[in-house]
Amino acid sequence: MSPSDIDAELVEAAKAGSTSAFARLVERHQQALRAFLRRTCGDWAQADDLAQEAFLEAWSKIGRLRAGASVRAWLCGIGYNKHLTALRSRGRDRARDAAYEAERPPSSGAMTDERLTLEAALSELPADQRACVALCLAADFSHAEAADALGLPLGTVKSHVTRGRARLLEVLGGCDDGR
Amino acid sequence: MTDADDRLKALFAEDEPPARDPAFSAAVMAEVIRRRFIVDMALLASVATAGGFLLWALWPSIAPALATLSQGLAPVGACLTLAAAAVVLLDRGVIPLDRRNHG
Repeated sequence: MSPSDIDAELVEAAKAGSTSAFARLVERHQQALRAFLRRTCGDWAQADDLAQEAFLEAWSKIGRLRAGASVRAWLCGIGYNKHLTALRSRGRDRARDAAYEAERPPSSGAMTDERLTLEAALSELPADQRACVALCLAADFSHAEAADALGLPLGTVKSHVTRGRARLLEVLGGCDDGR
Repeated sequence: MTDADDRLKALFAEDEPPARDPAFSAAVMAEVIRRRFIVDMALLASVATAGGFLLWALWPSIAPALATLSQGLAPVGACLTLAAAAVVLLDRGVIPLDRRNHG
């Protein structure tokens, strides 16, 4: 049985009200969702909070998930919307946020210099471009799958990935040897 | 995939959470169950309240009918109670003596 078949079976059981089936979906997809949100928002603790909220929303909306749809992409879409909402509410009080960011210790323990450079470069990308990079370059989403998850046109996703990739490689000092 | 992509991917992999994280999954499921419990309780409370109001509104019209019905059903109720008591007593009576002594 393929992973998508297992997901489909678990989704059907969760739609019927099975919390144990939903628990298995959480186990199967927590890594992908949390990794995506960590890369998208940069703050690991906040990313985990958003992931938890995304799973709770997924539980309440699982009845709306189309048959055969990718659970991973659906969850990342919910997480991305949560992230955008958090960004908007943070934008209402930028001064407080700037002070918080200045005092906040680095979110991950020991990062290599190269990883810190990548993190800094990612933080300069617009939110939607960052999300496209996180899905397509880090998580092996196809452009179509990322477009579906983020609710963006396919062409926009392609250009975001190309530009984001070029920017990251430029900052890291690598040559753009492909694509 | 190019070397540059591999390099990016390796850097991204540094912030990958563990494939299995029981603490995270348990926290999510605890919150799911807590919310489900609250929703169930709210539903039950609203159904009970609606039922109470309905009974209160209909009581003047159903009270006489219930009084008549209960008088008519009293002998049937008594017979059912006796039958249930007999079943329980007979059931206990057929337990073998050795099981009764040991259990």
